Amino acid sequence: MHNLKRLVVNEWLKLFKKRSFFVPYALLIGMSFIVGYVIHSFAAGMFGSVYDFTVTMSYIQGLGQVVTIMAIIGSSGIVAKEYSQGTIKFLLIRARSRTSILASKYITALIYGLSLTLATAVALFISGSIWFGFSGAEGRWVDVLGSLGYSYVYTVVYITLAFMIGILTTSGGATIGITMLMLMLDKTIIQKEFYKYMLFPNLDLSVYTDGGAPLPGMTLSFSIVMLAVYVLLFLLAGFVVFRRRDVA
Amino acid sequence: MSQRDVQQAQHEREDIVLQMNEVSKVIKGKAIVDKLSFQIRKGEIVGLLGPNGAGKTTTIRMMTGLIRMSEGDIEVQGHSIKKNFKSAIAHIGAIIENPEFYPYMTGLDNLRQYERMTDDVDDDRIDEVVQLVGLQEAMNKKVRSYSLGMRQRLGIAQALLQRPKLLILDEPTNGLDPAGIREMRDYMRTIAEVEGISILISSHMLSEVEQICHRAVVIQNGKLVTVTELGAENSVSEEVTLTFRVDAIEPAIAIAHGTEGIQVVRTDFIRDQLTVTMNNKNVPELVGALGAAGVGLYRIEENRQSLEEDFLKWTGGNRIA
Repeated sequence: MHNLKRLVVNEWLKLFKKRSFFVPYALLIGMSFIVGYVIHSFAAGMFGSVYDFTVTMSYIQGLGQVVTIMAIIGSSGIVAKEYSQGTIKFLLIRARSRTSILASKYITALIYGLSLTLATAVALFISGSIWFGFSGAEGRWVDVLGSLGYSYVYTVVYITLAFMIGILTTSGGATIGITMLMLMLDKTIIQKEFYKYMLFPNLDLSVYTDGGAPLPGMTLSFSIVMLAVYVLLFLLAGFVVFRRRDVA
Repeated sequence: MSQRDVQQAQHEREDIVLQMNEVSKVIKGKAIVDKLSFQIRKGEIVGLLGPNGAGKTTTIRMMTGLIRMSEGDIEVQGHSIKKNFKSAIAHIGAIIENPEFYPYMTGLDNLRQYERMTDDVDDDRIDEVVQLVGLQEAMNKKVRSYSLGMRQRLGIAQALLQRPKLLILDEPTNGLDPAGIREMRDYMRTIAEVEGISILISSHMLSEVEQICHRAVVIQNGKLVTVTELGAENSVSEEVTLTFRVDAIEPAIAIAHGTEGIQVVRTDFIRDQLTVTMNNKNVPELVGALGAAGVGLYRIEENRQSLEEDFLKWTGGNRIA
């Protein structure tokens, strides 16, 4: 466990020491304030309170998807860059298993995604409290956490997908390209029975909050199981390939 | 087997740092490395020689677990790379092809990465290896600004960090200028002495290998061609090849022909040079005979067969494999 922790520290430093590390945080925080200001100026009645604002803007339809995009870009290189920089050679000739090295990378990507989600949430909350106030704000924390949870699930699935593609292609550019393409297509719903077993309609768990469903017969627990299956498949493919691949 | 024999066998086994056992790598039905066996003993500097495409890098990548073996096994200090990778690799430090670091981090941050991946290495050890390679001044500079020579040195520091028993260097002088090559050679000697470890150097630069290695393992088309001791042949072989520069070549040739046990290999009338092969113990006799005949002697040079000639002989000349 201690060893895995040290590996995660390593991976985090590889992200953190880059000069561009703070750019996505700055962008997301900046957007949180701009969105708050714009809505306050042009549609002041849209949100009743800071909680309302934070909940809605954290959804995938709000800034949630931007967080996901930033997380994909940030973590796309976590495996691929090691190959393209050639640093994979020094990385794999240590007394650490390939499994634990890859696990530390995945954990780091998840932490990175979480840190973006939380930074955005905090920024949205501050922005919202400036422009929409705290009136009628009893007991809405649960909604904020729920909203963050939904968008983090969405981010985690995409991070896992990007992680697998990064391992398979060993190219950061290809990883961003393919994952972004899927991100753009995932709102399309095909009205066919088989489609509910695909990844896309299951991604947004927030649709179940008001009793709806993307396709007939779909429920919250069905989607959670589907997402878990897909995430495990992506991880399995990634770990198997990474463990077996010759570094030539 | 008597107890002494057992002890002897045990001792020999302990002396072997790396043992290659019939190691093969087959890619798409083609054997890149074919049943390769050799060993590296404690404190030895061994050269892994071969023409381009002979399988040197593939061999080294199998030793370090970057590439899987198709068949056979490699043991490092008795630990199998296949079955017990972590224990085996803990005794190896390596630079494979160019040393690549995270360019946006400082030299120290890069070394700290590998410190966190190794048991029982602390900051004092980092200071120690940095001192050994002389990079103290550059530790807080970003690796991006390093020259290739500096990156090579940081590569060595990285490899030595975990106190390995075997240091593997793949083409260590590739891309270095003559001063860098010389520096590298000095480092390798120092390391072998100071740290007391075995070194495996893969190279196609024969003179490099000749200058610092105790032994050379020559491979071609993935197969072992020969294993040869270096720097030992002079004392062993009785036969020497000498070139004489004289003031009058004709009488010299006559004397050489007239003395028993001497073969004239080459004569050069323009430079007044005569090359002969003869038994080592007859050299004073010939020199005496030349002096007695009044032939002035300017110079005697020994023509040592260089590793290059041997190498071409072993690997079949300039045939491109």
